[in-house]
Amino acid sequence: MIPRLRDLLHARQGPMTAELVQRPGEFGLGRVPARLKPAGTVASVCGYCSTGCSLKVHVDAEGGALNLSANPDYPVNTGMACPKGWEALAPLRAPDRATTPLLRDARGRLVPVDWGRAMDVFCARFKAIQARHGAAAVAFLSTGQIVTEEMALLGAVAKFGLGLLHGDGNTRQCMATAATAYKQSFGFDAPPFSYADFEESDVIVLWGSNLCIAHPILWQRVMRNRRRPEIVVVDPRRTETAQAGTRHYALRPKSDLTLLYGLARGLLQRGAIDRSYIAAHTEGFEDFAQFVAAFEPGRVCAETGLSPAEFERFIDLLAGGGRVSLWWTMGVNQGHEATRTAQGLINLALMTGNLGRPGTGPNSITGQCNAMGSRLFSNTTSLLGGHDFLSAADRAKVARVLDLPEARIPRENSLAYDQILEGIAAGRIRGLWVVATNPAHSWIHQGRARDLLARLDFLVVQDMYTSTETARAADLVLPAAGWGEKEGTFINSERRIGLVRKVARPPGQALADFAIFQLVATAWGCGPLFHRWSSPEAVFGLMKELSRGQPCDFTGIRDYAHVEAAGGIQWPLPEGGAGATGEPSDPAATGFGERRLFADGRFFTPSARARFCFDPPRPPPEPPDADYPFVLLTGRGTSSQWHTQSRSAKSAVLRKLYPEAIYVELHPDDARKIGVRAGESVRVRSRRGELVAAAVPTATVAPGQVFLPMHYAATNRLTHWGVDPHSRQPSYKACAVALDRASPAEGSSLS
Amino acid sequence: MSIELPTAEPGLSGFIAELLADQQRLQTPAARLAAAWDAGRRGRIADLGPQLIPLTAPRPGEQFAFEVDLDSCTGCKACVAACHSLNGLDENETWRDVGQLVSDDPRHPFVQAVTTSCHHCADPGCLNGCPVLAYEKDPVTGIVRHLDDQCIGCSYCILKCPYDAPKFNAARGIVRKCDLCQDRLSAGEAPACVQACPTYAIRIVSVPVDGAGDGRPTPGFLDAAADYAITRPTTRYLSRRRPVAPLIAADAYALRPEWAHTPLGAMLTLAPMGIACVALAALRGGTDPALARLGWLAGLLGLGASVLHLGQPLRAWRVFLGLRRSWLSREVLGFGLWFLLATVAVVPGVPVPLRRPFALAASVVGLVGLACSVMVYVDTRREFWRWQQTAPRFVLGAAVLGLAAWLAVGPARAILPPALMAAMLLKLAVEVRVLQALDRADPDAPFTAAVRTARLLTGPLRPLFGARLALGLLGGVALPFALMARAVPPSTAWWGLGLLLLGEFAEHRLFFQAVAAPRMPGVVPA
Repeated sequence: MIPRLRDLLHARQGPMTAELVQRPGEFGLGRVPARLKPAGTVASVCGYCSTGCSLKVHVDAEGGALNLSANPDYPVNTGMACPKGWEALAPLRAPDRATTPLLRDARGRLVPVDWGRAMDVFCARFKAIQARHGAAAVAFLSTGQIVTEEMALLGAVAKFGLGLLHGDGNTRQCMATAATAYKQSFGFDAPPFSYADFEESDVIVLWGSNLCIAHPILWQRVMRNRRRPEIVVVDPRRTETAQAGTRHYALRPKSDLTLLYGLARGLLQRGAIDRSYIAAHTEGFEDFAQFVAAFEPGRVCAETGLSPAEFERFIDLLAGGGRVSLWWTMGVNQGHEATRTAQGLINLALMTGNLGRPGTGPNSITGQCNAMGSRLFSNTTSLLGGHDFLSAADRAKVARVLDLPEARIPRENSLAYDQILEGIAAGRIRGLWVVATNPAHSWIHQGRARDLLARLDFLVVQDMYTSTETARAADLVLPAAGWGEKEGTFINSERRIGLVRKVARPPGQALADFAIFQLVATAWGCGPLFHRWSSPEAVFGLMKELSRGQPCDFTGIRDYAHVEAAGGIQWPLPEGGAGATGEPSDPAATGFGERRLFADGRFFTPSARARFCFDPPRPPPEPPDADYPFVLLTGRGTSSQWHTQSRSAKSAVLRKLYPEAIYVELHPDDARKIGVRAGESVRVRSRRGELVAAAVPTATVAPGQVFLPMHYAATNRLTHWGVDPHSRQPSYKACAVALDRASPAEGSSLS
Repeated sequence: MSIELPTAEPGLSGFIAELLADQQRLQTPAARLAAAWDAGRRGRIADLGPQLIPLTAPRPGEQFAFEVDLDSCTGCKACVAACHSLNGLDENETWRDVGQLVSDDPRHPFVQAVTTSCHHCADPGCLNGCPVLAYEKDPVTGIVRHLDDQCIGCSYCILKCPYDAPKFNAARGIVRKCDLCQDRLSAGEAPACVQACPTYAIRIVSVPVDGAGDGRPTPGFLDAAADYAITRPTTRYLSRRRPVAPLIAADAYALRPEWAHTPLGAMLTLAPMGIACVALAALRGGTDPALARLGWLAGLLGLGASVLHLGQPLRAWRVFLGLRRSWLSREVLGFGLWFLLATVAVVPGVPVPLRRPFALAASVVGLVGLACSVMVYVDTRREFWRWQQTAPRFVLGAAVLGLAAWLAVGPARAILPPALMAAMLLKLAVEVRVLQALDRADPDAPFTAAVRTARLLTGPLRPLFGARLALGLLGGVALPFALMARAVPPSTAWWGLGLLLLGEFAEHRLFFQAVAAPRMPGVVPA
């Protein structure tokens, strides 16, 4: 009686307390909330960025996801994840999931239809366009967000089955530059590094990379470096990474190439180059040496804004004799001379011999979870498996592996993303199939991009959500299952093939992209061509065969189970070849079973030598002037935001971790000049559009520059339609804008 | 999983059905996974534990505390999400926040992420303020634990915590907060945030409970946070960096109206009115019960409204438990007792001679309750709620509404209109005086609490503040003046009471919304 009275008076236990009680979770999970105790776990590679962390999904007895935690047994992330990874299940439960196909009716509304009707309309409309305007008048836009097996099937069905000629991916927006730069310099798109190189380096140069925020788990690897490295951050903004590094060089926007050539000249002058490496493994160095002679320190400092002391110190660091690794992301890839800039970094590594050894390399950190898969298998820029549409031998090989008539394989290259859109403007492209990407938000000069999408005769959008800016503009929406609702593989930045597992049921009639592509092929009438493509794992087998003899050869991987057991496997892994085990006896392997390329100094060019590629710097296409006096920089906002936010905005936790409405960072002096205080509204105008954002005065941006996060749809109203001539990657990061104070009533343009 | 593509066109509908069925099939039986686990090696989480958490219980005079290496924290916020997932919190619930400190000097840009949760204070404000003893401080570990089944959802702990650590969970009607993953720690595992930090910036350490033992800060608590002395937080923030410029919270300039607490605003309007009416009726001799009855009704509505404020009203009977240390317990008991006494004083059938003593007793108890009510807010140590503001607002608010009620109920007395005008003007003067902070403020300096309140009142809350002043002047000055001048009929006094009720309700809303609530550094824009 007394204890019960005491409990009534002072309830130290009870149903609410029990809600949070933890029990040992088993399966190496430590304690978990008792009500979420799993019956098992499934390891699956995260579907956001290219770091490729493994998430351990806690599943119930039926194999359905209950919760997840970061996987401690995976060499990439060793038990850590960023907030997006921790919240990876939340976007699956969003109310705006596409649950049935939607077809635009005569009154312009999207109404539910069944799959049969959707496929009838898909085929009839696209076939009608092709009959009238030619097979190439229908194009597709793919993505870096689906598994490689799906990308391959999409590329194969679209090009070999439907007869499309033009297709590209949203990977054009993030890593086309790196792919092109590597291809030209090394003879193959081959990022040479392992993440272990972050830990093995003496000088880590992060060029145009806000690693702390964009790739937090890679920053973890930097922090595990025990060699007391110099961490040099090259970025116009004093980013979180610049703050955390040991040196920050705030160069003027888009003066990168001048700085890179100046550094090369400085190294030459000091003799801090590896002549034997250059002689043995490179070509074109003499021309390059002559070319950079013009970049003397006075000019470099004047153009980049670095002080002579900063510039000299930077050369000191590179010349110091330690292991130098050069890492880059979108600050390099998204520019008007991006490919040459990336090659500027590659050139520095080549001339100093910082390649193929631990802690070295010119290393591109990729954006999307499967951009690397797209680079090899999307069948867009290159023929499946890194092959060449223009090569008869390659076409024959692919036709043989896939058991389909060689005539089905196009003999010309695809148009790039921007050229497909220009094709719409010219009336040559009339139908478009957009898969898991959101160009109405993410493409440059958004007003024009949306106008072009509206001009299409037929727009099909295949997505998890009906609410994306692009899906809302579609004539037909195909409901797709998302990450966690299907299986396949991703390839991460360090070339690691990792497994994605099915741990949840998609809502309604939504189907895995893989199934949708199978359905399209069948409805189109070309199903029999793809009889070998029966399941993701069967396609994995085809991909292995396609890779045979290529630099990316991974015929040594047995199957998915092998990938899972090994904790992901980096390419190359040729059948029976060296490195097939990833064990320490393998000379290229690190303690993590990680492997880097080019230890032997042999590249994939015909001469087996790496090339020095360079061009004189050009002025950016839209420098600031009297009417538009500020330079607009764009980039990642926070670690809890992802691209166009179609998934990351679906998690209530992530939503708490970033500002709801768009904001603009500007220097406090500039804020004072236009008369705005923190939180007040600023109008940002470019020649193409305008938006209103909340002012965030901060000296982390230089005077004359402003920063807008890319995640808010309004940002790309302002950006400039310009691409790098080699990679055709858009230049998001430097256009001219004007600022003025907006009335509070105008508020911020919500995402 | 393997589906052959049909070769003939008629197969499409069957194929669709097959694909849809396959899509709903989850391929992985748990038993196989468990077996796979058993065959594998144990994870690293357990391996990480020992270096990030103490291996022994705290010694006497010590407790467990978070230690944050600011130099390693990059603001990735994995700790927030991991805390959410590993503790099984509700969909939109988080117990940890990440804010920023920034340099206030444009010549020296500096940004520092700050991860923060409950500081498991040596002298916890939440615990001291809780009216139902729903907080406990573990005598050994020092963990401040919240008892979810005891909580009545009054949110007073949220007002009492200078760091915004307790979080109200609306769906459950209670507050929940970080318990330092007590379950995990006792099993030798690292708390969720600790195991999830990619740069190992968060650790659990044993610290002296009393800092230096003399109330001085634990070495390294943040300058930009609320005064250490209020609750003596135990978290240690460490940094080897020496910023050149002074650091301020990134949201130091943000203007965010606080939660309006509508039911509390109604309670704080009506209950004091009731107390004043009954007291004035008692002073009048208790002969005319109309004013007292009106007061009783106001009290009833006010106390009723306060119940709506609670997330778990059925547990509210426990409120007497906190009498020894919670001003909220005292307020509730004072008002409750007042209501009982006032009821006797107004119930029909009670002999008239009995009414007056009860009315007088009620008035004394009511005034004590009102004083406790003032102390509820003063005790939060918030600048806007210091007693110089709160006491005159509450007392004059009661007076204004009591006098206005008397004026409406009658019989008229010549002294009433001028008394009402005086009380109202005095009260408005107190309220407007807050704006003086703007005159003294350096426009470029970070907001002090007083400046923030003034800016809130003249910025986002300006319409409500304007309406409040207009209602007060109209109902409390213009209308009594017109009555005095006999320019309007006496019944107009009821309109005056209505206007003043609205005005006082608006004022209490502003009282809650315009307060500068101390919290840990946040982010911009909020």
